[in-house]
Amino acid sequence: MIFDEATLRKLNQLTLVASRVRTGAIKGERRSSRRGSSVEFADYRNYTPGDDLRRLDWNIYARHERPFIKLLEEEEDLAVHILVDGSRSMGWGEGDQHKFNYALRLAAGLGSIVLASGDVLTVGFLQNGRVADEYGPSRGQGTLPRLFNFLDGLEADGETDLNSSLREYTITPRRPGLAILISDLLADGGYESGLRQLLGRGFEAALIHILSPDELDPPLAGDLQLIDVETNQTQDVSLDNSLRERFGAKARAWISSIQNDCRRQGVRYLELTTSLPWDQALLLEMRRASIVK
Amino acid sequence: MQFLNPIALWLAALAIPIILLYMLKLRRKQVQVSSTLLWIQLLRDQQANTPWQRLRRNLLLILQLIILAALVLSLARPSIETPAIASGSVIVLMDASASMNATDVSPSRFETARSTIRSLIDGLSGDSKMTLILAGQTPQTLVTAEGDKSLLRKALAQAEPMQGSSDWQAAFSLASAVARGSQAESTIVIVSDGGLPKTGLPSLPGEVRYVPIGSSDDNVAITALALRRSASSPQLFAEVTNFSGARRVVLISFYKDDELLDARQLDLPAGETQGMTLENLPNASGVYKAQISNSAQGNSPLDSFALDDAAFAVYQSTSARRVLLVSKGNLFLEQLLASLPGIQPFRALPAQNGTLQISSDPFDLYIFDGLILPELPAANLLLVNVPTNELFTVGESFDETGNVTVEDHALTRFVDWSNVHVLQAQKVQTPEWAEMLVNSEPGPLAFAGETGGRRVAALTFDLRESDLPLQVTFPILFSNLINYLIPPNAFDSTQSLHVGEHLEILTQPGVEQVVIASPSNQAFSFTPGENVITFTKTQELGFYAVNFLSKDSNSAAYFAVNLFDPIESDIRPQESIQVGQTAITPVVSEQVGLRELWPWLIGLALVILILEWQMFHHRQLPFLLTKVRRT
Repeated sequence: MIFDEATLRKLNQLTLVASRVRTGAIKGERRSSRRGSSVEFADYRNYTPGDDLRRLDWNIYARHERPFIKLLEEEEDLAVHILVDGSRSMGWGEGDQHKFNYALRLAAGLGSIVLASGDVLTVGFLQNGRVADEYGPSRGQGTLPRLFNFLDGLEADGETDLNSSLREYTITPRRPGLAILISDLLADGGYESGLRQLLGRGFEAALIHILSPDELDPPLAGDLQLIDVETNQTQDVSLDNSLRERFGAKARAWISSIQNDCRRQGVRYLELTTSLPWDQALLLEMRRASIVK
Repeated sequence: MQFLNPIALWLAALAIPIILLYMLKLRRKQVQVSSTLLWIQLLRDQQANTPWQRLRRNLLLILQLIILAALVLSLARPSIETPAIASGSVIVLMDASASMNATDVSPSRFETARSTIRSLIDGLSGDSKMTLILAGQTPQTLVTAEGDKSLLRKALAQAEPMQGSSDWQAAFSLASAVARGSQAESTIVIVSDGGLPKTGLPSLPGEVRYVPIGSSDDNVAITALALRRSASSPQLFAEVTNFSGARRVVLISFYKDDELLDARQLDLPAGETQGMTLENLPNASGVYKAQISNSAQGNSPLDSFALDDAAFAVYQSTSARRVLLVSKGNLFLEQLLASLPGIQPFRALPAQNGTLQISSDPFDLYIFDGLILPELPAANLLLVNVPTNELFTVGESFDETGNVTVEDHALTRFVDWSNVHVLQAQKVQTPEWAEMLVNSEPGPLAFAGETGGRRVAALTFDLRESDLPLQVTFPILFSNLINYLIPPNAFDSTQSLHVGEHLEILTQPGVEQVVIASPSNQAFSFTPGENVITFTKTQELGFYAVNFLSKDSNSAAYFAVNLFDPIESDIRPQESIQVGQTAITPVVSEQVGLRELWPWLIGLALVILILEWQMFHHRQLPFLLTKVRRT
């Protein structure tokens, strides 16, 4: 049960504060490039289910018998894409530190914020090098239960190939916007080319890197054969203190290389360990990383 | 190197299960991780130092195998052969006689003996026991039947050589007592340079072994130094013996009170003895010293044995006390003086015409009997029935001599006047300086005291007019008086002592303390009591000063302790010694002692075990701690 009572309560609280919380920090730039600087009226756009009926331009509907939504100047309409890595390595960790559950709760939280602020939300579920499942695009707080339902039905299984999954996601024509990738990035092929493709399509990208604490500091010792839960690859290791220390250093180096890579490409990067409660991560850490504001 | 228990080496087969267990253990525990991605990357980086890693992985196994090897080896009891002279119940007789001070082997014979015995202790097998006897003037048991090597070494370190000859008879008695007391068959090891008596040593129970010490016979000794009193002046007699096997030319120097008197060069063929006499020496007390040295080079040592290169003799000028009896003839006194020991009596008679002429030669004591000189000699005086003189006035004679009291005085000890009858005495006013000895109502019969730097004693009656000479009291009283007037020497210092001999010292009345200073300036203090003082600490060679401390005057006398022992001076190491009926020849370490090495191996195993434990925990501890924290 991903969305237990405590999680739901937290999500409800989040929707209450969502009027102040917004997804994306870059809408000002988009506005200037797309709609010019008109003072009140900005544009009309097609009605999509879930749009606020109060915003429907009834006059045009009367004239053309087609529903249009009147976009006002201060109204943003951001397409937010939440991409969740669903490989088996994400199914690591126990209880609240389970990475996939943590990722889903983050996705739900982010989704609540997106929907509450009237933006368009799409959730992509990446698995086995494909987009295994997809939710949306949807808009409006009314669709929240459906989002939760969707997320609840997901399961971490199969292998990771972020590059091909992301490529598939971008090939499908969709409105570019803010793409938030939630993954542990523990994939052989890496993630860089997929991310580049996303950026090439005009997406803004943010990367939420989820790791469980025991992945950074494994509580292991002795002569071991390590088995990869995802690929069933084995690796013999004789673990002593010095090797453990070197592993810790290696993990930190790996994270900081990802961080540098992201900074270079203008991708917001946030590394989260699942020991941090997810709502705190959402409200504090993501703000700090300018993924929400 | 050999193994006492080689069958234990089969335990080395335990290495097989250890290796098997290790291989089984190396079937790695399978652990799932979320991803091996980082591990693979990490280990790819590590590949450069793989061999070391592999060794490290096996280090625990190697350490365990070393521990096993050490334990198995120690069970097999490896031992190395050490030359040993004895094992079992060992009794070591360590020669501590003067000749062991010889330096022909470096640093000295005694130290060589010490190190020989130390190696004996080291070679002692585990259950052996050792008794150490130091054979000196009085044999001394340093340690009895001890198996603890550290205690044996400690006892050995305390042993010091003596400067006299050894009492081998007593040492042998001690050794045989110890040997009879032990259950096991004893081995008696005599570590000596062979200065044992040639005959008369009893046979010992058990096996006797002899370890000779010393390498050279290079020694020239003063074998005698003595003073003889001749008519006018003392004579000094010295004797020098060359004990070495080569001709030696030595310089002998004579000193009196550190002042060089004479020096002579002696040419001594091997084994020869040469004597000489020094005459016309000053007739004064003093310490004579004879010293032999190298005639050629100044400071190089003469021989390997220095203790007998110097000798001392003491001359005490007044040993026979000269007494002059001035009398018209007194048979009692003459007989008495002739019979008192240590007295040389002379007699002076007045000439026919009544004039008195006495020799100008000084005497220690003048006895005036019925006569007096107008001018008294400046010496101690015994005055018997004399007329008025410069010391006191003599009045009329009296005959009320019945009620007599004998005063309590040192001079009247054992004097019993009850049977003495005096017919007539002269009335003398007791002088102020005199102390009353025998008193009657009209006047004193005997008194004594000191005046004008001399001691004076007086009897106021004619001996022939009393029955005193017929009583036992007579010699007692006169002996007391004469000893008071001419004190005898405290001891006879003309004969020098041997090391360990004791000296009896007579003290005069009034001496409160006797302090004897040894040649090394060690002081021994005695308080005179009723008995003579017996001084036994004559362990050092040289001359001793005896100081008599009394309230107002101090005096000193000397005596000498010399080696004068041909057995000790003959430092030639003996090929064999005669014990009982058998001659004992040196052992050629035929017996082999075993020195076991297992304690070292066990120690090694323990150290490596600690190391291994440390290593194991260095690797395992963090893991175990996290496990504990989780639970």
